[in-house]
Amino acid sequence: MTAAPARILETQALTARYGHVQALSAADIHVCAGELVAVLGPNGAGKSTLLRAILGLASTTGTASFHGEPLPRQDPVAVSSRGVVLVPEGRGIFGPMTVSENLQLGAYRLRGDKAEYGRRLARVLALFPRLGERLSQTAGSMSGGEQQMLAIGRALMSDPKILLLDEPSLGLAPRVIAEIMEKLALLRDEGLPILLVEQKAPAALKLAQRAYVLVLGRIVACLDPRDLSSHDDLAKYYFH
Amino acid sequence: MSDFTYFAQVLVSGLGTGCIYGLIGIGFCVIYNASGIVNFAQGAFVMLGGMITQVALTRLGLPLPIAAIIAILLVAISGTVLERVVVRPLWDRNATMFVMILATLAAQIVVERATLLAVGDQPRTLPVFTDLPPLKFGGVAVSLQLIWILVTSCLIVAGLAVFFQKTKTGKAMRACAIDREAAALQGIPVKRMLALSFALSAGLGALAGVLITPTQYTAFNVGVPFAISGFIAAIVGGFGKPSGAFLGGLLLGVVQAAAIAGFGSGLKNVAALSMLLIFLFLRPGGIVGASK
Ligand SMILES: Nc1ncnc2c1ncn2[C@@H]1O[C@H](COP(=O)(O)OP(=O)(O)O)[C@@H](O)[C@H]1O
Ligand SMILES: [Mg+2]
Repeated sequence: MTAAPARILETQALTARYGHVQALSAADIHVCAGELVAVLGPNGAGKSTLLRAILGLASTTGTASFHGEPLPRQDPVAVSSRGVVLVPEGRGIFGPMTVSENLQLGAYRLRGDKAEYGRRLARVLALFPRLGERLSQTAGSMSGGEQQMLAIGRALMSDPKILLLDEPSLGLAPRVIAEIMEKLALLRDEGLPILLVEQKAPAALKLAQRAYVLVLGRIVACLDPRDLSSHDDLAKYYFH
Repeated sequence: MSDFTYFAQVLVSGLGTGCIYGLIGIGFCVIYNASGIVNFAQGAFVMLGGMITQVALTRLGLPLPIAAIIAILLVAISGTVLERVVVRPLWDRNATMFVMILATLAAQIVVERATLLAVGDQPRTLPVFTDLPPLKFGGVAVSLQLIWILVTSCLIVAGLAVFFQKTKTGKAMRACAIDREAAALQGIPVKRMLALSFALSAGLGALAGVLITPTQYTAFNVGVPFAISGFIAAIVGGFGKPSGAFLGGLLLGVVQAAAIAGFGSGLKNVAALSMLLIFLFLRPGGIVGASK
C-alpha cells in the first residue's frame, strides 16, 4: 500500500453563515498535491460560500487549513499571501485598468524582483497568448472569455501554491469553456493543485480527480469521475 | 480700468482660490477612491496646515519653508491617526456612508474646538512666500503668492497623475477603488492603502492651507467653509476623479470671484451652492464625466 498523498488544503466542519442563514454546513473537503478537485452543485448550493469561507471572507466556524496550518480568518490579504489564491465569481478584474496593469497587480507582493516578474509574465503569456496581444487594452473592454483568462493569469502572477476558481465557465460559450478547462488541465499537470467550483458538471468532471457534490450547503457526495456511468448519477443530486 | 482688464483681474484672483478648492477637492477624491468614504474632516487639515505653520513660525522661530514642511508632515500623520482612531473601527464594522460622514464631521468639530483651546480665537496670517510687488500683465496685477499657488498646484496635480498612473502603489490604490475585495485577493494591503489615502489627503489639505493663508487668514473655524468648497469642487468634477476635482475647483473659484465682483461678497456662497445644484441637476457625472 502506498502512503496517502499529502493533503495540501483541507477543511474540517467548515461552516459559514450570513446573519441567520447558514449557507455552508460542516463541510469536510481536501485537495492533495497535484490534484484538480471539483465542487459541483446547483445554483445557490453554497459553492461560492465554500471558497469564500476558505479565504476567510465569510464569517465561519470550523477550520480551513493549508499544509496543516489553520488559515487566518477575516484577513484575505494574509490568506492570499500564503499562496491560497481565489479567482472570484464574476472574475473581479480591474476593468478600467489595462491588461498589463491587472497582471502587474497580481504580482503585487513581488517587490522589485524584475527577473522573477519577467518569468511569471512569460509563463502567463505562454499559457494565454491572447493576453499578450492585448497588454495595453483596457481589461473591461475585452470579451468575457478573455477577461476570465486575465483573471486566471492575474492569479498566476502571484505564483500561487493552490488555485481556487469560482465558476470560471459562467456566461462563456462552450468553445471558450473548453479552452479554459484545457489550460486548467495544463496547470494541474505542471503540479499546481486546483479547487474548481462549477455548476456545469460535465466540463469539470473531465478534468477532476475527485468531485464533491454540494447541495443546500451540505457536501452530499464525493465521487470519482471515472466511476460515473452516466451523468444521470449526478443529476439525482441536483434535482432531489 | 477697462471692462476687459477688470474681468481678467477677477478671473485671475478666482483661479487662485480655485486651485485651493481644487486641492481640497482632490483630497476628498483620494480618500473616496480608496475607501468609498466621504471625509468631512478634510477642512480640519486645511486649517491645521495654516495654523501649525503659523505657530512654528512665530513661537518656534523656524523659517517659513521648514515650518510649512513640518506642518504638512504633522497633518499627514494626523490624517492617519484620524483613519486609525475614527474611520477604521467603523469601516471594519461596515458602517454606512451616513455614519461615516457624521463621524468625520464630529472629528472636524473636535479638532476645531481643540485648536480654539490651544491657540485662541484670533485670526492669524502668514507672510507671503516672496515679498515682491505683483507682476503686471497689461493692466492685470498678479501677486507672487498667486503664482506660488498656481505653480505648486499644477505640480501637485501632475505629480499625483504620475503617482496614480505609473507607480505600483498608486495603481494598487486605484485597484482598491475599483474593487476592494478583488484587490485584497491580490494581496494588496487594502487597510494600509486606506491609511495612506488619509495621509495623502491630509497632506494635500495642509498644503492648500499653507498656500492660501498668506492671502487670507486662518482661524480655528476656517475649515468647514473650505471643506464645503472642496466638496463642491469634487462633485462638479465628478466625485472620485482627481483631475476633475481640480477643474471643478478652478471653475468654482472663478464663478465665486465673478459673483463677488458682480453682486458683492454676500453672494459668494449663493454662487457656490447654485453651481452645486446646477451640476447635480444637469451634469451629475461632473465636468469630465458623461452628461445626464
Ligand atoms: N451576502 C449574502 N447574504 C445573505 N445570503 C447570501 C449571501 N451570499 C449568498 N447567500 C445565500 O447563501 C446561499 C449560498 O450562496 P452561494 O454560495 O453564492 O451559492 P452558489 O455559489 O453555489 O450559487 C444562497 O442561498 C444565497 O442566497
Ligand atoms: Mg456562486
